[in-house]
Amino acid sequence: MAKLRSFRIRIALLSAILAGSALVGFGLISWWLIYDAKVNRLDAELENQLIRVGRPRPLDRWHADEASLRRELGIPTNTPIAVLVIDAEGNVLYGSPQWDAGLETQNLWISRPSSLPFPSPSPGQRPPPPAPRFMTQQTASGRWRIGAVTTPFAQVAIAVSLNAVTQEMAIVRNIFVVAIPGVLLLVAGGAWAIAGSSLSSIQRLTQVVANVTANGLEQRVPIESADLEFIELIQVFNQMLERLERGFKQASRFSGDAAHELKTPLTILQGELERTLQQAEPGSEIQQSLSHLLDEVRRLSEIVRKLLLLSLADAGQMSLHRTKIDLSSLLTEMLEDIELLAPDLEVQAKIAPGLDVWGDRDLLIQVLQNLISNAIKYNLPKGWIQITANRHTQGVSIQVSNASNEIAQSDRDRIFERFYRGDPARTRQVEGLGLGLSLAREIARSHQGDLTLDPPLPGQTCFTLTLFSTTLKHRRTDLGIRRRSPYL
Amino acid sequence: MHILFIEDEAKIANFVRAGLKEQGFVVDYCDNGDEGYRRALDNTYDALVLDIMVPGKDGLSILKSLRRQGHNVPILLLTARNELDDRLEGLNLGADDYIAKPFFVEELIARLHAVVRRSAGDRQNLLCVGPLKLDRIAREVTCDCQIVELTSREFNLLEYLMRSPGRVFTRTQILEHIWGYDFNPSTNVVDVCVQRIRKKIDGIGGAGWIESIRGVGYRFRDDGKQR
Repeated sequence: MAKLRSFRIRIALLSAILAGSALVGFGLISWWLIYDAKVNRLDAELENQLIRVGRPRPLDRWHADEASLRRELGIPTNTPIAVLVIDAEGNVLYGSPQWDAGLETQNLWISRPSSLPFPSPSPGQRPPPPAPRFMTQQTASGRWRIGAVTTPFAQVAIAVSLNAVTQEMAIVRNIFVVAIPGVLLLVAGGAWAIAGSSLSSIQRLTQVVANVTANGLEQRVPIESADLEFIELIQVFNQMLERLERGFKQASRFSGDAAHELKTPLTILQGELERTLQQAEPGSEIQQSLSHLLDEVRRLSEIVRKLLLLSLADAGQMSLHRTKIDLSSLLTEMLEDIELLAPDLEVQAKIAPGLDVWGDRDLLIQVLQNLISNAIKYNLPKGWIQITANRHTQGVSIQVSNASNEIAQSDRDRIFERFYRGDPARTRQVEGLGLGLSLAREIARSHQGDLTLDPPLPGQTCFTLTLFSTTLKHRRTDLGIRRRSPYL
Repeated sequence: MHILFIEDEAKIANFVRAGLKEQGFVVDYCDNGDEGYRRALDNTYDALVLDIMVPGKDGLSILKSLRRQGHNVPILLLTARNELDDRLEGLNLGADDYIAKPFFVEELIARLHAVVRRSAGDRQNLLCVGPLKLDRIAREVTCDCQIVELTSREFNLLEYLMRSPGRVFTRTQILEHIWGYDFNPSTNVVDVCVQRIRKKIDGIGGAGWIESIRGVGYRFRDDGKQR
């Protein structure tokens, strides 16, 4: 059986099962006790009658006795009663017409009265009443309770139909059959409600925790208003957050520090290389190799620069120098580049005029360049690039799509990861660091926008950059002295 | 031009000083902020180049103190730290420009010229090398008095080369400066662009002014005269 995922349903079911088995057990026992009590009462009545009937009497009295028996026993008239009397020789002295032939009495009578070693009654002393024996038998006409007694004079058996008792017991059973499921429903519902109310505090806690994680790792779950039972949980969670925050800060500080420390040697290396390059004989081999070295240093600087930006983004300290940017003209300028960079590609552009946003010009240019250069790098031979830019109610969206091979789902999921460059065999020949997209998305997000990879379409890849209206209207006060980041 | 250069890293200071001197700057150098601040107060320099992270009084404090005391000497910040934060803070505190490490000396020189010109109220934004005249404000290039129609990328590239005649620029350097960071360095976009500029100026007397350096990149021919 599949494990039930819902705690509430499990609790309700379990309570219902427990209460159900208790109730069913209780019902069975009480049903049996009631039945037993009824039969016992009948037995007691029968015993009296048997003793009375068992005394010697004329033959014709049996008939009259049978008639009075029903009254004596206190049995309703519709319940059949039968009497059988046998003398010591085994001859039937009297047999009611209702006597069911299927009733077996031989086991009830102890033995032939003649063979009984009856003690001779001592004078003045009554013989002890013979002990009757009882039995329930099932015949074609229903269940019968038979009481039998053996006296020195005769063997008497009285059978009373149990149909009435069975009917009464059926009523009791029906009451149980109706009542128990009802009670079970009540129990299950109650358990469901109780589980719900106890879970609601967990839900409240979940909400608080969700708020905390959304607002940043430095947040903590407040402990004051929490239920006693949850304090420990909250403490553990807060400790976890603290460890997480420390680890995260360490990692981000490390890359920030590393990037910073790398800058000085890079500056020296680049400066000296450049100076020597200028002094070398133009076009000489030494100048050529110096220029290659210089290019590599630039590439290294580029990685360092991006790592530093990413570490700032991680630390939530990417600050923006917002100005008004005309995205339309920016994109138009970049279209000119595509023509130079990749003359073989077919370029389609639908750029709405006057797309102004408030943003950091350098950073947004970087995002757009990253998208466009990716569209060129990962294009198909004789492929195409399409750029659309529109204003919509919430802001501005820019889509850059290009002809491409299908991106595998595993790559799609990881495309924004740092240093991730897809299938190494396929992309090795293409230059790049695998930092661009990751950084582009961080930049978009720091502008309260986003960068997403659109759902796959056959033969093309499409990225959408969204800059929301807060980017347009909300102008952060970038003026004034900013508190320095603690580690830079 | 008299420059005060405050930078604690001796090796950086060496090539920057060498580069500046080559271009005819007179450079005073000191390696800590306290002394640098004293000198900045004592002497009249045409411009200051301040590293932000120096021992003693740091670059931003020097900048702040100088501006508070009414000194309006042009100041250019060197930053190795968080570029954006420093850039913003520096500019807000009254720096005239900033340049992020690692930088090219040529770029530093161009910026220095720019800030000094700006502070002197000198609006002369004309670059003249050989037959070519480039007006930065009008964004107009004339070659032997004929207007050359250039796209904005072509104009920027030509300006970049003309700014430092005789200096060799690698393709990557040009690509980065004109197009930005994220383009593929192995493309021939620089070559294509240079070809287009050449085509436009060759017919009107500009032939041979943009020189190709085999295996390296390009430079603008130096006619031997100082700017």
